[in-house]
Amino acid sequence: MRAVIEKCNNSSKRLTEIRSINCSKGQDTVTKYISKRILHSLITLCIVIVIVLALLRQMPIEGYFNNFDKMSQTQINVTLKQLGLKDPLPVQVGRYFVQLLHGDFGTSIKYRAGYSNAKIIAQKAPLSIEIGLISLAIALILGLPLGAAMARSTRSKFKIWDRFGTVLIVIVQAIPSAVYYLLIQLYGSEWFGVSMLFSRSNYATWILPIFSLSLGNIVYYAMWLRRFMVDEANKDYIKLACAKGVSQKKIWNRHVFRNAIVPLVQYIPNSILFTLMGSLYVESLYSIPGMGGLLVQAIKIQDNTLVEALVVLYSMISVVGLLLGDILMAIFDPRISFTGKEGAR
Amino acid sequence: MDYNDIQKGETLISIKDLTFDFTLRGQTLHALRGISLDIKKGESLAIVGESGSGKSVFVSNLMGLNAQNGHVSGGSIMYRGLDLTKLTTEKDWSEIRGRRIAMIMQDPMTSLNPLKTIGWQISEAVELHRGLHGDEAKNAVYELLADVGISDPARRYKQYPYEFSGGMRQRVVIAIALACKPEILICDEPTTALDVTIQAQILGILRRLQEKYELTLIYITHDLGVVADVADFVAVMYAGDIVEVGSCNEIFYDPKHPYTWALLSSLPQLGIKGEQLYSIEGTPPNLFYEVHGDAFAARNPHPLKIDFVKRPPMFEVTPTHFARTWLLDPRSPGVEKPEHIKRLNEKYKELMKKNGESVSGREPAKTALEGAAI
Repeated sequence: MRAVIEKCNNSSKRLTEIRSINCSKGQDTVTKYISKRILHSLITLCIVIVIVLALLRQMPIEGYFNNFDKMSQTQINVTLKQLGLKDPLPVQVGRYFVQLLHGDFGTSIKYRAGYSNAKIIAQKAPLSIEIGLISLAIALILGLPLGAAMARSTRSKFKIWDRFGTVLIVIVQAIPSAVYYLLIQLYGSEWFGVSMLFSRSNYATWILPIFSLSLGNIVYYAMWLRRFMVDEANKDYIKLACAKGVSQKKIWNRHVFRNAIVPLVQYIPNSILFTLMGSLYVESLYSIPGMGGLLVQAIKIQDNTLVEALVVLYSMISVVGLLLGDILMAIFDPRISFTGKEGAR
Repeated sequence: MDYNDIQKGETLISIKDLTFDFTLRGQTLHALRGISLDIKKGESLAIVGESGSGKSVFVSNLMGLNAQNGHVSGGSIMYRGLDLTKLTTEKDWSEIRGRRIAMIMQDPMTSLNPLKTIGWQISEAVELHRGLHGDEAKNAVYELLADVGISDPARRYKQYPYEFSGGMRQRVVIAIALACKPEILICDEPTTALDVTIQAQILGILRRLQEKYELTLIYITHDLGVVADVADFVAVMYAGDIVEVGSCNEIFYDPKHPYTWALLSSLPQLGIKGEQLYSIEGTPPNLFYEVHGDAFAARNPHPLKIDFVKRPPMFEVTPTHFARTWLLDPRSPGVEKPEHIKRLNEKYKELMKKNGESVSGREPAKTALEGAAI
């Protein structure tokens, strides 16, 4: 949590710096906008955690014991009291917040009894993040140029890129990912002669899972970028730029792409943060020891504190991701930072 | 750039029999059907006509800005020894677009890039056409901003379009158009999206800049009030053709084509109190089909028989006044002019008598349009 707040402060500082170069007057408003957004996010986060806890504390109490069946009612009551689960809910929630502020996500009960949840996550997350970030980078590197090429080719005679891209998009979107993940594993391992199972030290085995993960994103970024670029390209200011005599290349790069990327930029922080969650299906297909199956497993074996830790963590990630997305968007779009009165439209 | 080789009033652009087609779902739409027109240096020409008459398509041809499914199917546009219809590649056009012919768009609210500063957008054109960079470019932009009446240019330079009102944005668009000192400025309904006071300001700026930079202005508009305000010459377009062209006074006070009659009669200023305002019945012809005869014949209250059969040629009324109607043929039986037109004619004669032959330019058109209201 502390790290999160620090992160936000840092980016706000950076933003202010950028801004002060461009526009001396906008500085206050931008800082104001960002602090307001951070405050809103904090409130949202608190409400989310309260709701999550209120729901999760309704889970069967078996989940707090490693050997529930063998315990007597008195023993159970004593343990519950020790864990503080007999207190009224507001007290429990308050205590949880204090724990969180100390970076404490509780202790696992069944998954690895007595082990801190934070440690369990810290062990599994890096691999998921690594794989996720690589696949995201590939998706951006391939998806954005593909989308741009598709948008540009809508103006050409045969629309080759557009047709090719559309076919690809339709195929990837229409076939359930479960199916093409399997196909990639099956044929990929056969054609390239790589092992079907993941091994950390053998980088050849990284290729198939990373490709599986990025395929959906490639198509996603290509599809939306094409759509936003076609929208922008039909706007009046592009026609004016054309009448100004600006070359087509510059129009596509400096005007169309630059403006079309804004709505996409908002989701990039979220995509980056979400890599932490890993992919349930891909990770289990290649038996990658990542975060993917952790939540499901925790629920299955009824490890209540681990479930809590994961759900709270994921909701924190979502809120922070949205916040960063909004801030990024404010950097890219000058209109956003000016709220209410000053935004004369 | 030096444009002094052609004197004011001489022909700058000569358009001959220009036809332009769009291909839409396998069908051909004849957007322009044989337009001939001379544009004179230093004068302002207004092109009027209802929506869909081809005004915008026509001027887009001067800059090669038409949609890709359209193509010139005949005729020529000669500009300084160059046939603009023959230009195809971007490189060909780079000499013309923005450099010699510039354009102002209809809606200033959408014609600026919302994510770039005003200064960036003007200097993009300055850098492109004048090769200036850094402080030089900046100073040129300041000068342009001052030219279009934007005060405090240093502050305005750094602002974004959303910090500007509609009128101010249109000034910025004009500044961009003038960034490279063009010879011709096309104004595609420059004031349609603005309110009346701002409209007057923008037209004032355009007129001032026309004098300062010796611009040739082409206005597209369907506001005849604007025409009377700014135009030296008027071309009336109907169904992809210019049906009548002449000086402002000739068009307003001695129109010859039934369509021009109808257009002028629909002016609310000429309406008679208590009576319904005049409106033209019917709709323009479908340009997907070949038009036979006079395109306006079907909506003309008193058409001649030949109007449905043969397309009239351009008849010369005076050396500056031409109209495409069989009524000007010596063999035509003649049709009585509508009431409104007669009244305009009388007003003009009165004015001429009062002020003598010295009356010139747009003055009578303006005063009489205001005075003709009954």
